[in-house]
Parts: sequence; structure tokens; C-alpha cells
Amino acid sequence: MPLNPNIAALRSQIAAAHGGGRARAPVLSLGDAGIDTAFQQGGLPLACWHEFGGEGMEVETCAAPAAFAARIAASLAAKGEVVWVLRRDDLYAPGLAHLGFPAERLIQVCAVSESQALAVLEEALATPGVAAAVGEVETVSLIAGRRLQLACEKSGAAGLILHRRPYGGQRKSERPGSAAASRWKITSAPSVPAAGSPGLGAARWDVELVRCRGGRQGAWTVEEAHHGPHPFRLVAPLGDRHLEAPLLKAG
Amino acid sequence: MISALVLPDRGVRRLYAVSAAASDLGLFPGQKAADAGALVPELTLADADPAGDAEALHALTLWCARFSPAVATDAPGGIFLDIEGLSHLWGGEAELMEDLADRLTAQGINSRAAIADTAGCAWAMAHFGEDRAIVSSGEQQEALAILPVRALRLVDEDAAQLTRLGITRIGHLAALPRGQVTRRFGAGILMRLDQAMGLAPEALAFRRPPTPWFERLALVEPVSTPEDMARITADLCALICARLAGSARAARRFEIAFHRVDGKIQSIDLGLSALGRDVKILTRLFAPKLEAIDPGFGIEAATITARDVEMRGASQVQLTGGETENARVAVACLIDSLANRLGQDRIWRPSPVQSHEPERAVVKSAPGAAPGSGWDSDLPRPLRLFPHPELIDVTAPLPDDPPVLFRWRGRVHRVRLAEGPERIGREWWRGPISEVSTDQVRDYYRVEDETGGRFWLFRGGLNGAGYFPKWWMHGMFG
Repeated sequence: MPLNPNIAALRSQIAAAHGGGRARAPVLSLGDAGIDTAFQQGGLPLACWHEFGGEGMEVETCAAPAAFAARIAASLAAKGEVVWVLRRDDLYAPGLAHLGFPAERLIQVCAVSESQALAVLEEALATPGVAAAVGEVETVSLIAGRRLQLACEKSGAAGLILHRRPYGGQRKSERPGSAAASRWKITSAPSVPAAGSPGLGAARWDVELVRCRGGRQGAWTVEEAHHGPHPFRLVAPLGDRHLEAPLLKAG
Repeated sequence: MISALVLPDRGVRRLYAVSAAASDLGLFPGQKAADAGALVPELTLADADPAGDAEALHALTLWCARFSPAVATDAPGGIFLDIEGLSHLWGGEAELMEDLADRLTAQGINSRAAIADTAGCAWAMAHFGEDRAIVSSGEQQEALAILPVRALRLVDEDAAQLTRLGITRIGHLAALPRGQVTRRFGAGILMRLDQAMGLAPEALAFRRPPTPWFERLALVEPVSTPEDMARITADLCALICARLAGSARAARRFEIAFHRVDGKIQSIDLGLSALGRDVKILTRLFAPKLEAIDPGFGIEAATITARDVEMRGASQVQLTGGETENARVAVACLIDSLANRLGQDRIWRPSPVQSHEPERAVVKSAPGAAPGSGWDSDLPRPLRLFPHPELIDVTAPLPDDPPVLFRWRGRVHRVRLAEGPERIGREWWRGPISEVSTDQVRDYYRVEDETGGRFWLFRGGLNGAGYFPKWWMHGMFG
């Protein structure tokens, strides 16, 4: 799609203002033009950090956001190690392998406190040879977020922050501001098994891009893609929909 | 030749040692030199040099390490060798002693030797018994019975007192009631007796193996500021790393000990995931640990020791792929830094184990080790595995079917899709065979509820007469 030159010029000015005049960072395509164009850079920007959260029970277990982040990290693992910083040691490596994550690239760190987890994340992100760092923390303050951002820019690694209260309890009030490049809300979505096959279908998630620096918001339903270059496949709004039971009966 | 060594003792020159010929003429150590000169006018006197003797004995002790790694100096004129388990290298204990004595004689050193179970017994036999005696195991009592009580390494006053009382032989002493001996002489005599008999332990100061990977920094003035301690650390690291690099070696563990003015020692140590000798990296890893050091009134010396030293040549500078090498080194540094700050058990790489039990399929391996992979990615395994399965209430229409409804953590989930079962039995060969039963069989189901949440449930045990298996939540797929 040819862009209006004026708009293109404006966009480059905005990009320069946001990126501090640095060269354009590499991006990760999420597998569909609809999602990728929500970002100003044309894909998930890598040299910055993104936050993922869930709702309800997932605030404590954080399984769907972790699965989504693991699929993204799996695409990055070819470039280096992935450091996964935990507060509660319940991440199961064979499960990551099942999601297509190369478990031999994984280094797990179990931190004793929130501040220690953030410090470990910052150190890991600033290390060359680390492609991505996943951190399970409750909240990231503005200062901590800024420090994470500087660490990401230093080495070009991607930070994936999962918001999780590992031992339950009352949720802290969310601060409005954040230094993250994007904020996602991830919930599991009902899968659709292929016609005639028993059991579960490929895992699906309802993903909502709540905040996106320099980009647009959006909500999609994606399905894990085991084959091909991209981590996800967009579920077509009409064709892939699960038919509701009453409709089946009526048909 | 009639000769003797003299040593001034409280203003009086006394004989320190006498030659065999002089001894035959009745001279003895401790005699006044003037008296001895009057008795034997042709006596040749020379000054004794105890410090030189001690040095020579130390050298001889080191030489004895060719026979045994555990050698201890026994001042003023003895050496202990621990030959446990190595006499077969000479063909037997007698041959070993023969070889030792022959080599000493060849060097012009007169010696007496004995072999026994205990250091005390060997000492007694070597000094007062037959030369080159071998006391068989457990026969100390017979061997020692006829020796004089001085053979027990007693202080001179005790030995003299015992002799005055007519207790001249060790056999006499051993026959006395222990209570009376202790009351009269204190515990010292009986302790020596027990040590010789093998009834009480005795610690010998064996020669410590030299640690060449050791550097010391002595300071002119005691220091106590953090900046000074950081500088000392950097200097020590530089010293040891230069030596390691010079001999193409690197080490895995380093320890710095700060010696305080009041004699206390405070030490910090460091473990590396890979062999290392980089000054900058070591200094950086030591830096956070310095906070734990309390300098007190000041630190006057510091030492660094490198352990687990192994050969490592200089690293090859690569024309291509230097980025990869840099990244590898940087990741190793990150691992070291985290492991030293958080603890070795808080950072790991998951490694596969050949086991069907989900809890046992992962082992935490050292993060610096070669990564392993080998899980079957086709097997459905959850992303989150709860360390303890949680009991759930289920509604299942048929005993062998997956549930249609379950309650977990206070919420009801309606099962929309289910997959399974995957039957995983306990590894019966790990425990006693009597504990094996069908109760330990787990049937795992992968289920999805109406909102899309994917869970890993299992039924513990098989349906049987009067037995209703329980259902457990074990993990989440996300």
C-alpha cells in the first residue's frame, strides 16, 4: 500500500522522537499483517520490553500469558539464550518443549523478591548473547521500566514481562504509566479440533493489545502455529469460528 | 672421635649432644662443658645449632614424601610417616623400612625405624626398642611392656618420678589402677599410654601439600575503607591471574582471605561456571561480596588462593564468528554473577531425565554445563506443573470417562473437550516391592473448559470394589 509522503515523513519524525534518533530496531513478525501493522515499526519491536497479563485466576497462575510469551521467545531463541526469571518455581520445561520452545536454550533463575527479579532481568537483558528475558513480576515501576528499557537498548534483547502475583492475594493498584513498548492482555480461547478428530485442537488465545507505543490498539484471536516461520496464525473472524451449539441444532 | 656439641643454658655451657665415643667415656647430654673437659681433656667441642637442625629435619621430612604423602616432623629428631595402604608398593612393610633406612644411610644419616599401629608405639620402638621392629597389628601391649616408661614420650619430671617409685617398665604402669595414677600424676601419663596402645586418638601435624596457586599482599599500613579493599582485591586478582596465565592454567574457584590487625581472618570465595583467569571479571564478581567483610581496626594482609586449577591455553582470536565467542563469554559471566549473588541453587538449566513420572523428568543442572534437550515435544505436557497435585471434586458420568465438571480452587469448570487417558505408572523398581499397587497408577487427561482454559488432570488409582479413585489437578497448559 503506497503511503502518502507527508504521512511517511511524519511517521519517521515520530519514530526519531521515540527512538532517540537511533537506527530502527529489528522487529519480529507475529504472523499476520493485521497484528504487525498495529505497531508503528511493522512488527513486535525487539530492543524493548513488553508486558503481558491475564485476568481472574490467571493473575496467580499466569499460564496463558506465559504460553504466549514462550511462543514469542521460541522464535527469538535461535539468536541466543533465553533467561526466564521466576518467583515461584513451577515452570515445566517439557511443557515448553511441547510449545515448540528449544529447552536447551533456557536458563531459569528463581529470585527471592520482586526487586531481585527486576535486577536479574536488567542484568540479563544487558548481556550480549541473551536473546530474550522473560520475567514473572507483579508490577514494574516507572523507574524500573526505564532501566529495563536502557538494558534492552544496550544489547538489542527483548524483554517479556509477565504480570503475576505468584502467591495470590490482593492485587496492587495498577499505575497508569509504563515504560513498556506494548501491553497485552492474554486469555485462553476455546480451541476447535479439526473435523472428525477427537480431543483438543491447537491452542488458541484471545489477545488484546491494550497499549502500544506509537501504534494502535487491537484485539485478535490467534492460534499456535507449529510449522512455518511465525509463532502464531490469526484465526479468521468468520471461517475459523466455532459454531455455537444452538446453531448446529438449528442447522 | 670424641666430640660433643655445646649450648649455653642459663649462663652455663652444657653438652647438647655427644658422639658415640664420648658417650662410651661416660659423657652425657646436659653435663657442664667444663666438667666434661676436665674428665676428658681430648674432647672436641663445637657450638650446637638447633635452628639449623630443625631446618635440616624439615628438609628431610619433605624428602620422606617420596615414601608417603602424609609425613610429619617430630622435633627434635624424628619423622612420622603414615604408610597405611602403600607398603605393597615396596613389596611389604619390612621392604619399605629397609629401603628407607638404606637411603638414609647412603646420605650419611644414622637412623632407627619402627613400624606400628600407633604413632606412640612406633615412636617407643624406634627410640627404645629393637631397630627396624615391626609391631603387628594389635600387639602394642606385648611390644611395649618391657620398654622403659620414658618410651611413652612423658615429660622428664613424670618419667623421673615414676622411675623413683620403681615403675620402670611400661608393663608395670599399665598394670596399675588407672584412678590412682590419674590422682597422683594427672591425666597426661595415661593419655600417652592410651595413645601408644591405640585407645586414644592422636593428631599429627602432617606436612600440608604446597599450594602454588597462592598470592599474598602485605600492607604497610592497615586499611579499612571500602575503596582500599576493592583495590586490594583487584591487585590480588591481577597477581594470581598473571601467574595462571603464565603457566597456561585457569581456575574454577578463588578465595580471598583478609587478615585483620586483631588476628581474625575474614574470607570470601567465588565459584566460576567455567575455567577463568580474567582480572576484570574476577574483580567484578568479588565486588558485591566485599560488603560482607568487616575490617575491624584495619586489614594488614590479604591472600588469594586459586583452587580447581586446570590447564587452559590462551584462547584463539577468531577472524570470523568473534561475535559468537563474545556472546558465549558474556553469558558465562552473567551466569557466574547471578550464581554468586543469588546462590548456586537459584540458577539452573533444565535437563531431561529418562523417566515417565512428570515430576522426575526434569533435573536442575548447572547453568554453565553443556545444555541438554531430549523431551518428546509431541507429548502433551503442561507449561505450569504444580509441585503438589491439588485435589479436585469432579462429576464423571462413567467411572472410566474424563469428568464433565470439576471444581478447583473454588471455581466450577465445565469440560468442553477432553483428551486421554495417558496412563503413567509409578516406577515400581524405585521402592520396596510391597508398596507397589494399582493405587499408584495415574490416568492423565488433558481437558479444556468452556472458557478455553486447558488443564492437566489425573485420576489416581483404578476403579475397584469399594474404591473410588480421587481426581487431582496437576498442571496448566495456558
